[in-house]
Amino acid sequence: MVANMVEKRTTRGVYGWFLQRITGLFLAFFLIVHLNIMHFSQGSLQIDFQTVTERLQSSLFWAIFYFLFVPSVVFHGLNGIWGIFMDYQPNPKSKKSVLFILWIIGIGLTLYGAWGLVPLFYA
Amino acid sequence: MRISDFWMSLIKEWKRNPNVGTFAWILHRVTGVIIVLYLFPHFWSIASSRGGAEDFTHKMQSYESPLFKFLEMGLVLLVAVHMLNGLRITIVDFFLLTKSQKALFWVGVVLFLAVLVASIIAFFPKIFV
Repeated sequence: MVANMVEKRTTRGVYGWFLQRITGLFLAFFLIVHLNIMHFSQGSLQIDFQTVTERLQSSLFWAIFYFLFVPSVVFHGLNGIWGIFMDYQPNPKSKKSVLFILWIIGIGLTLYGAWGLVPLFYA
Repeated sequence: MRISDFWMSLIKEWKRNPNVGTFAWILHRVTGVIIVLYLFPHFWSIASSRGGAEDFTHKMQSYESPLFKFLEMGLVLLVAVHMLNGLRITIVDFFLLTKSQKALFWVGVVLFLAVLVASIIAFFPKIFV
């Protein structure tokens, strides 16, 4: 059934449509875990460098978790913005420049997010 | 395209088709845009780790005030709305359940109310200190 939809190309691009759902499913998992730890499960626990690094370094799982989380959320967010933009029938020229800008922001934000996470995993 | 066009298009779509599906579509757009904007200051806060342990701890502690806890609760609820509706869209798309989209909307509402109750329990003691 998914294969049927993949064949039916739309102007917004079927890869974008499919990746939006795949990253969305990943983000549902990432966010349930992330928000549960940060806001629901450990009541009065202080969020400071010590407790955060201890948790993140307790298992390789957390490194994989957060370094997948960052690119997933950046792609999902900016692809969503792209989808909204495409609803306003942009001309080919503005399509091209907005796509270029979104790619620059996407790569930049992913690198920046990952760069900010690195010290939490070895300090 | 201006910001006002964004809001006008949402109102226009609602007038054209005032149903729960359109309501969910509007919520999805608005929450999605807010969450994207939130990513920038969020990554910036985490990047304080680059300045060392003290910078990071200092930054995190600056978000412990009741006002920030209130904003965080709002953010959690925005994420819940976007996530639940996103799952609804994904289920409808992958399992060809367009005919059940309204029923799934109400399932989402019930799940959202559960998140709301959990958020009140988790956040209110930190907001109303």
